[in-house]
Amino acid sequence: MGDLLGFVLSGLVSGALYALLATGLVLSYSASGLFNFAHGATAYLCALAFYELHSGFGWPAVPTALLLVCVVAPGLGWGLDRLMFRKLARVGETAQIVATIGLLVALPAAGLWVVELLERAGAPVQPAENQFGLPGVGPSPAVSWQPLDGVGIDSDQLITWLATALVAAGLWVLMRHTRLGLRLRAAVDNRSLTELRGISADRLSSIAWMLSSGLAGLAGVLATPLLGLSAHDYTLFLFVSATAAVLGRFLSVPLAFAGGLGLGVLQNLVAGYASFAEDITGFRTAVPFLILFGGLVVLAQRRRAAGTAAADPPPVDYLAGKGPGRRWGAWAAAGALLATAFYTVTTPFWSGILAQGLALGLVLMSFTVVTGLGAMVSLAQATFVTGAALVAGLLMSHGWPFVAAAAVGTAAAALLGAVVALPALRLGGRSLALATLALAFLADQVLFQVGWLRNGDTGWEIPRPILGPLDLGDDRALGVALVVLSAVVVWLLTWLRGSRWGRAVLAVRSAPEAAAASGVSVVRTKLLVFTVSAGLAGFGGVLYASYNTRITATDFTAMTGLVWLAVVVAAGVRRPQFAVVAGLVFAVVPHLMATYVTESAHLPVILFGLAGLALANDPDGYCAALPSRRAARAARTTGTAGTATAPTTQVVREDAPVPVPAQGRAQAAGSEAHAPPPALALHGVRAGYGGAAVVHGVDLEVRGGEVLVLLGPNGAGKSTLCRVAAGLLRPSAGTVRVLGRDAGRDDTVRRARRGVRLAPEGRGIFAGLSIEENLALQLPASEDRDAVYARFPALAARRTVAAGSLSGGEQQLLALAPLLQRPPAVLVADEPSLGLAPRVVDEVFRLLAELRDSGTALLLVEEKAAEVLGIADTVAYLSQGGIAWSGPRSEVDRDRLAEAYLGTGVRR
Amino acid sequence: MPRPIRTLAAAAAALLLATACNSASTGGTSDEPGSPGGSARGVTADTIKVGGIVSMTTASGYSKKDTDLGAKARYDRANAEGGVNGRRIDYLGAEDDGQDPARNLAAARKLVQQDKVFAVSPMSSVTFAGADFLDRQKVPTVGWGTLPSFCGPKHLYGFNGCLVPTPGGTLNQTWPEGLATVLGGARGKSVALIAGDNDAGKFGIRTFTQGFKAAGFQLAYAKAAVPATSLPSDWSAYTKEILRSGPGGRAPDAVVSVMQTPYNIGLFTALKRSGYKGVISDPTDYDPGLLAKDATRQALDGVHVLLQFQPFESESPAMARFKADIKKAAGGKDVPLNMHMMTGYMSADLFLSIAAKAGKDLTVESFQQAAAGFSDTGTLVGDRAEPKGQKESFGCGALVRLKNGRYEVAVPFKCYPPIPFG
Repeated sequence: MGDLLGFVLSGLVSGALYALLATGLVLSYSASGLFNFAHGATAYLCALAFYELHSGFGWPAVPTALLLVCVVAPGLGWGLDRLMFRKLARVGETAQIVATIGLLVALPAAGLWVVELLERAGAPVQPAENQFGLPGVGPSPAVSWQPLDGVGIDSDQLITWLATALVAAGLWVLMRHTRLGLRLRAAVDNRSLTELRGISADRLSSIAWMLSSGLAGLAGVLATPLLGLSAHDYTLFLFVSATAAVLGRFLSVPLAFAGGLGLGVLQNLVAGYASFAEDITGFRTAVPFLILFGGLVVLAQRRRAAGTAAADPPPVDYLAGKGPGRRWGAWAAAGALLATAFYTVTTPFWSGILAQGLALGLVLMSFTVVTGLGAMVSLAQATFVTGAALVAGLLMSHGWPFVAAAAVGTAAAALLGAVVALPALRLGGRSLALATLALAFLADQVLFQVGWLRNGDTGWEIPRPILGPLDLGDDRALGVALVVLSAVVVWLLTWLRGSRWGRAVLAVRSAPEAAAASGVSVVRTKLLVFTVSAGLAGFGGVLYASYNTRITATDFTAMTGLVWLAVVVAAGVRRPQFAVVAGLVFAVVPHLMATYVTESAHLPVILFGLAGLALANDPDGYCAALPSRRAARAARTTGTAGTATAPTTQVVREDAPVPVPAQGRAQAAGSEAHAPPPALALHGVRAGYGGAAVVHGVDLEVRGGEVLVLLGPNGAGKSTLCRVAAGLLRPSAGTVRVLGRDAGRDDTVRRARRGVRLAPEGRGIFAGLSIEENLALQLPASEDRDAVYARFPALAARRTVAAGSLSGGEQQLLALAPLLQRPPAVLVADEPSLGLAPRVVDEVFRLLAELRDSGTALLLVEEKAAEVLGIADTVAYLSQGGIAWSGPRSEVDRDRLAEAYLGTGVRR
Repeated sequence: MPRPIRTLAAAAAALLLATACNSASTGGTSDEPGSPGGSARGVTADTIKVGGIVSMTTASGYSKKDTDLGAKARYDRANAEGGVNGRRIDYLGAEDDGQDPARNLAAARKLVQQDKVFAVSPMSSVTFAGADFLDRQKVPTVGWGTLPSFCGPKHLYGFNGCLVPTPGGTLNQTWPEGLATVLGGARGKSVALIAGDNDAGKFGIRTFTQGFKAAGFQLAYAKAAVPATSLPSDWSAYTKEILRSGPGGRAPDAVVSVMQTPYNIGLFTALKRSGYKGVISDPTDYDPGLLAKDATRQALDGVHVLLQFQPFESESPAMARFKADIKKAAGGKDVPLNMHMMTGYMSADLFLSIAAKAGKDLTVESFQQAAAGFSDTGTLVGDRAEPKGQKESFGCGALVRLKNGRYEVAVPFKCYPPIPFG
């Protein structure tokens, strides 16, 4: 019993650190929707800074720690948010993952570089290498006590517990009992609705990043005595704590916190009691990753279609419609030049480097399949490489010829790929990325520890093949062979992409249900994508290993896979030829840098990591950046923008109809020129999504105390118009004026602050917040809330209930109630009666009428025309993106109404 | 198939054909070293060019960068003494491989193909992907033989021998014999062995189990149980099991850790807090730099550390010379000594000794010939002999004990006969 208690108590120490890191992960994730792989690097940076300032500069421990945790780390978080994360939140998921992977290597390198510079400048810094037993905040060496028999604690553990408990309490107060916390939770619940309420989600995101970084900094400072100054260990620690974030589903701070604590305890219990697994080498090492993997698979919610990243829209193909000569000419010439160069200009050293780059290029092309085509992020590619090469090496040691061994190795990798693909059937996006990462670590720690497969540290020799007269032992011959192979694989992949199967993959990627409905097997397609990609990685891996002439189990680790992904995505993951460029650049640039630019080992790493910054601007990589920018500029000047978007992957929006030429143009309620300016006025507004215009020159005006009802069939552009009015969508032409002032350049927040409120389609409430909190967001004064409760006793009785559990009608009441208390200048309501019972609809319209009477200008979009006409002052019909008719309610007749709905077009 | 792709394929085929002819005609050996006539790569009338490969910057915080300083100290001294057979050593300094296999190979290639060195010494890293390349290019290489590449390949030498026992080879008994001396004989004494949970840890447990048994110890506990990549914050699970593993449920007489410093600090601290009074030993923590921190000093206090070279505390003239050379190379500063300096210094020393024996006509062949029958005695790493050192460790070592913030020699430096390993 003493044992168990001891294990639990001391397990809470690493648990506390996991909890801190996991909480930070959840905060930053909810702020900008990206999983921060560099979170551990931030912790490391703070540990390094703490060590240098405390031990080097001799600053006192506690103030230094406070400075780092409360000022420096949040400052770093703020800076990164402004520079990177804010932009990244708007690009695809792959670019997000990669950018933070870049930071993962860049931040520690930057820290060490600063130390290097300081040392050169003569500052009293300490070397950062080979440092063990570093002092933490408390006494060093730690004081230890033994309160119970067999249960010992020391001062470092105690400090970790206390600090973590303090942070937990602080976070709880902040999130539950302050206005800022309420807003943060609201932004997590529904970011765009927060903006519609006039609260800047960007600012909240900055704050969340600052908090998150501060927590990472705290974890770093607390972990200094434990982890020392190993950036690698901090990152591993982070991956483990990702398990806790998964337990909290990346949303719930308390769950993640508890998960972290539990994880530490569980790990300790396994260490104490897992004697059953002693025969499996690496089992104990792998425990955290087993938990991570299990947690992901079990807890994953099928919220979005698994295995896809529809958030990654395909880029504009700037060469669409161009001939193959234009498309391939330059590449063919470059390949031929490179091949010729091997036998003419390059020195033996550079021949070797180029051959290595080409071999890596083959491996990197596997990302083109799984990530570029399949839109799934696999962090296990290095596993396939190691697996294939080990198998091939094993066979060659038994006398197999190269080609046969390579074939079997490739098949083994493909098989591994199929295994790794299994979670892909259930997971998507970052969950999938994390699951593949967990599997990669499992492979490193268990599979590749198997003695007969790895052959100790010796590994297997993989001699270069000799094919007839062709001896690839010569780097030049190998180089040319690799150029040819790369060309073949590029051609194969390009062909594959355009084939039936490639189209099936694209279909599965963007709309799995639709794909399944049209007879494409989602399961088989995903399995195939992974299998093909893993096989390709394995094939490339065997060649890469044969360039090295040997494979050992530690040559390509899970972390290598992370770096590879960053390398290839930075170049561009859509086209296989970009992967070849990526491989060459990765092989060549470090040597060029070392020769011509800098002696420092850190600077190239920093620059490499900052490629993520570039991704924020060019999410499709540097290979495509220049030509696509030029193409975009050319398109702008000729005025034919958006000529070619790949139609296969375009997600069809409900309110984005096929564009039609603008025709209808009506003047709605704009005749009286005297009186105060209209509360909301749209003039000549054109708007749409991407290249597709939806609304073609609409004029609308609505005054305070007036109700304008907008009718029209599905797809007429009603919701689009609402979005324009609320500032969610910026019109491509025309003006928007609020209370007589030009508001055309507003973002959502500014528009909301001018007094324009949008009650969006569905319910405009924060489902995860309680009734009280929903009200408090808009009615900070408690008298206002009391007044609401007095008026709606149904809400008062359930004020602590989560709004999401209310009935549809109650939710709508909850959305309108604060508006009644503090009437806005303009209310734009998109289908306020949607899905409500008739009795409730009456109630809602009564409330809307009341709102009008208190002076609010209402723009109502409705399907239930008959009911809404009861409160309308003016009615406008929208048809095919234009106003077909508008006029006072009295002039509306049944025929017009019917035509509006049938969409037959009441064209004057 | 689009026409350009056909063109591309045709061009590629033509190129491939040309390559085939070309490589067939040159026999695939584009840069064969050591052309006949005596002038070897990197050797001129009055210089020998030598490079090094060392892990300096790493993400793990572990660095061997002082290896470079050690090598420089030894080469400086050789040059001050007039060089090797009249040739000055042109030491280019060490390339940093960052513990990355790809960079290790690239560094080897750069040294050979671009810098055209005669030899690579020192080579000290956790990875040696460049080994096959260096051996094939016939580049004499001397380094820290903790990797299997130093055991076998003709041109690769470990400065204190090959430290990875191979089945059928021999096992170095320095540690068991040394601990037996500390404990006053091995008979009836029990030992607990602990290592990380990976293949290397398993292998370590296997070799030392055999070694300690052969020396007469009882093995109370021998497990590769500690998570190898994530440092445990709590060691009680391991210490509890170890402390109950001895005969009659008592604590074993000695606990031997085959792990790295951060792990040892945690384990030893936990052992001592549980009241363990026996002998604690490990092979990695002989680093006077560790004494600079109170926490490590306390954790390692009383620990017996194995080392395979003469302790810095020894008073031999060779050690005095080593210290003087290091101080000079460090620009006259008293830098804290560590084993990486010794690695660099003695790697350079082995290279210089063999090169001196090779005579005035220094080529790879003459170097290899000299190495084939090379032996000397009484160096900082004991009695050296090649090619024996390409199969087994030189078998010499000492145990030092940390006491009151200072290392003191517990078992003096001595060479022990190896036992067969199977």
